[in-house]
Amino acid sequence: MIVGQQKKFDEIWEMVKGFRKVMVLGCNTCIAVCHAGGDKEADALASMLKIKAANEKVSMDVSHGAIQRQCENEFFTPVLEDLAKYDLVLSIACGVGVNFLSARIGKTPVYPGVNTQFFGGVPKPGFFEELCGGCGSCVLNLTGGICPIARCSKSLMNGPCGGTNKGKCEVSQDIDCAWFLIVERMKQLGTLEKLFEVQPPRDWSGSFHGGPRRVVVEHLRDIEEKQ
Amino acid sequence: MKAAEIQSTKGFTAESSELKESRPYPPCRAACPVHTDVQAYVADVAEGRYTDAFEVIRSVNPIASACSLICHHPCEQQCRRCGVDEPLGVRHLKRFALEQATDYRRSKRHAVAQTKGKSVAIIGSGPAGLTAANDLADLGYKVTIFEKNPTLGGMLSAAIPAYRLPRVTLQEDIDDVLSKGVEAKTNCEIGKDVTLAELSSKYNAVLIATGLSLSRSLNIPGVDSPGVLLALPFLSDAAYERKVDLGKKTLVIGGGNVAIDVARTAKRLGAENVEMVCLESEEEMPAWSWEVDEAVEEGIKIHYRWGPKAVKASNGKAEGLEVVKVTSVFDESGRFSPKFDQNETMLIEADTIIIAIGQMSDFSFLKDSAVKVDERGRLVWSQATQMSSAPGVFVSGEVVTGPGSAIAAASTGHRVATAIDLYLSGKNIEAALVSDRKDKINEMPKDIIQKLAVQPRGKVAHIEPDARCTSFIQFEAGYDEYTALREARRCRSCGAGAVVNQDKCVACLTCLRVCPYDAPIVTNKAEISPDRCQACGLCVPACPCQAITMVGYDVNAIRNSMPSIIGDKGAEPVIVAFMCSHYAAEKGASLSSNVRKVRVHCTSRVDVHDMLSAFEYGADGAFIVFCGSDDCRYREVYPRVKMRTELAKKMLGATGMDPDRLAYFRTGGEAGSDWVKAIEDMAAKLKEMGK
Repeated sequence: MIVGQQKKFDEIWEMVKGFRKVMVLGCNTCIAVCHAGGDKEADALASMLKIKAANEKVSMDVSHGAIQRQCENEFFTPVLEDLAKYDLVLSIACGVGVNFLSARIGKTPVYPGVNTQFFGGVPKPGFFEELCGGCGSCVLNLTGGICPIARCSKSLMNGPCGGTNKGKCEVSQDIDCAWFLIVERMKQLGTLEKLFEVQPPRDWSGSFHGGPRRVVVEHLRDIEEKQ
Repeated sequence: MKAAEIQSTKGFTAESSELKESRPYPPCRAACPVHTDVQAYVADVAEGRYTDAFEVIRSVNPIASACSLICHHPCEQQCRRCGVDEPLGVRHLKRFALEQATDYRRSKRHAVAQTKGKSVAIIGSGPAGLTAANDLADLGYKVTIFEKNPTLGGMLSAAIPAYRLPRVTLQEDIDDVLSKGVEAKTNCEIGKDVTLAELSSKYNAVLIATGLSLSRSLNIPGVDSPGVLLALPFLSDAAYERKVDLGKKTLVIGGGNVAIDVARTAKRLGAENVEMVCLESEEEMPAWSWEVDEAVEEGIKIHYRWGPKAVKASNGKAEGLEVVKVTSVFDESGRFSPKFDQNETMLIEADTIIIAIGQMSDFSFLKDSAVKVDERGRLVWSQATQMSSAPGVFVSGEVVTGPGSAIAAASTGHRVATAIDLYLSGKNIEAALVSDRKDKINEMPKDIIQKLAVQPRGKVAHIEPDARCTSFIQFEAGYDEYTALREARRCRSCGAGAVVNQDKCVACLTCLRVCPYDAPIVTNKAEISPDRCQACGLCVPACPCQAITMVGYDVNAIRNSMPSIIGDKGAEPVIVAFMCSHYAAEKGASLSSNVRKVRVHCTSRVDVHDMLSAFEYGADGAFIVFCGSDDCRYREVYPRVKMRTELAKKMLGATGMDPDRLAYFRTGGEAGSDWVKAIEDMAAKLKEMGK
């Protein structure tokens, strides 16, 4: 799922303080699961804004709410008209939601309350870990199910590098060396010899470097549009 | 300074109340024949709202005070604490609540307008008759009770010994009913003073609720000897303080609750030696075990498994009972079918023998009436309509159900009142009279039992046996406030737990991860098992989508009522105290008027935004009062809510306010003085901060 983290409140306040009528809008899917931008977080953030506004003697009317997903038209249908009546919508969805709403709401600005981080998993309660780089060309079959793009600090395809140290990455002792993990996993699978095959340079055009990406599932398209 | 008015967030809303009624009952409520919302009134007691507790009790039980002393409390027998330690002291808590609310109760008595313009005659003023009178008066009917005894209450008044049920206590129930405008004619026997036909012609409907007013006798030689008495006339003589001649040695035949009452009454009337003889073994004996124990404590000897054969008498006076050994009481299918060994007999000496082997109805007043009695001596009636064979003549209570408990008879009083109302409104009774609901949650799972702390049941004092046998003084004391408050906290709130709004749930697993009892099951969406949920509420604030609510509790109550909680601010710093609703936790704590109390079922339910809302609406400080580890009835509340409070402090700090304006404090449960100091310290600190 997409993992994000709420922005520092000071930064949010700087964005918001000039507006009189503000809607804090949560998204009850990925970003709710990582407790950064669901219904509950929208409620608490709205409360903080009200406290701050009162202390700063700024007249601000803050509301809050959430929809199921801020990345699909249908979920906006019942609320879009209302949202357009605010001076600002502070979206605490991932960046997708901010983009999506911004393109549809008309003149009302949509600002982000969350820093969207990564595609991650939940190894234990309260922990969210980056596990996939969304590179557009998956190689997990070659690396024992451990993503070198997302989990190696250098995204090496032929690791490890000289910075590996007792299973940790030279970037931080808190980061496991992905290539150490890959070697251990390949040993366990009995496929260590595969790592002797040198991987050629990757074609990164399917990743961030080839411009914005789009996936089309032909059979799900609107009939009229297709015709 | 005087403590501020307690701001309660009891949190019942129409929606939460509806949700509560739509779910299976907790076993205590399901077991109660009138389905008293035990949990609700126990919570009211726990939270110090004694008059609210009274309202909950009285709303379904017009013989509440009597029940608070003599009910066999099926609620306790079904209590899910039984697996953990001992059942909750529900009956004692009922008594406590009613005693506390006495003045309030009397002040609420008032006549109900007789808007229906129709009248109902009720024959018999026992639990069934009184309950029906109560309900029909509430519905606007003119009700007249006909009672053959000098006092109202049926057996409660004419037979139950005063050491168990003082008549002043019973009178509270009777006064409630009479105050509604119910007329009562005592010393008025149907068939003698007035006929059933006269009642049928004068009233729009008649209810026969005459119960079982005759004692059964035995068909054995010598039973007519002087010195052989029947249970009910004996108890009635004792109840009305009429002279009873007892010899030195009294023998009671029977093993039921009436037999126990008879034996203990005989003891109090001065019989030197009281013994009982019954067909059953100790385990088979139908009397409630606690009543048997109390009788034995009073020196009453019980001969188990002997059957009466003949009364031995000489010189026109009973001398003893010849008994024969019982080999079995019930047949293979469990039916009553005693077998005897005629070779083994003995003589139990006694100059007074009282037969207490059961009761039956007296139908002499039905002679020549349209109300039919079948060839086996049973009233002909329809359970579906509660009506006898005569149109407009209804029946309820033990006269048709047979022997049972007072509260079971009362429940039939409710039902027949509904039936009479339907009849007098020209509606189809059978179609509209609903059957009793039986659904309830399951037993406490074994793994949960192991997770629950043992908290011994609060005891009540009994007068020592020697002392109590000298008079009819009430032998059992009630709870004092300290014990009642502690006892009420033992309730597990079974079934009043978390419910997931499936439309909002995103299956994030958070509830499952924070629940100390593994109650949530998450497949496509989360579901929370009512059998496992302990209603702590830890999952509610943890849910990122606000998809979890609590049965009988409005999760938005705190937030929504915060402006009124804060109210007008004076010169002193306003401090909001989020605390466990258990009154024991704050009792004795004299708090200054600037403290605004927000009492919740458990602080586990206080969310970050609840804490922030205090500041949003102008509080200068707030703090969470945690119960001590021995006092909290839930697991993991302190570490979990402490983390939550730390987060709220950070958030408060981020807005530019001093995070120390929000604090938490762990109390020793009753240590009111501790947290008076904590609050004073915070007030001083807030003043330093410039409020």
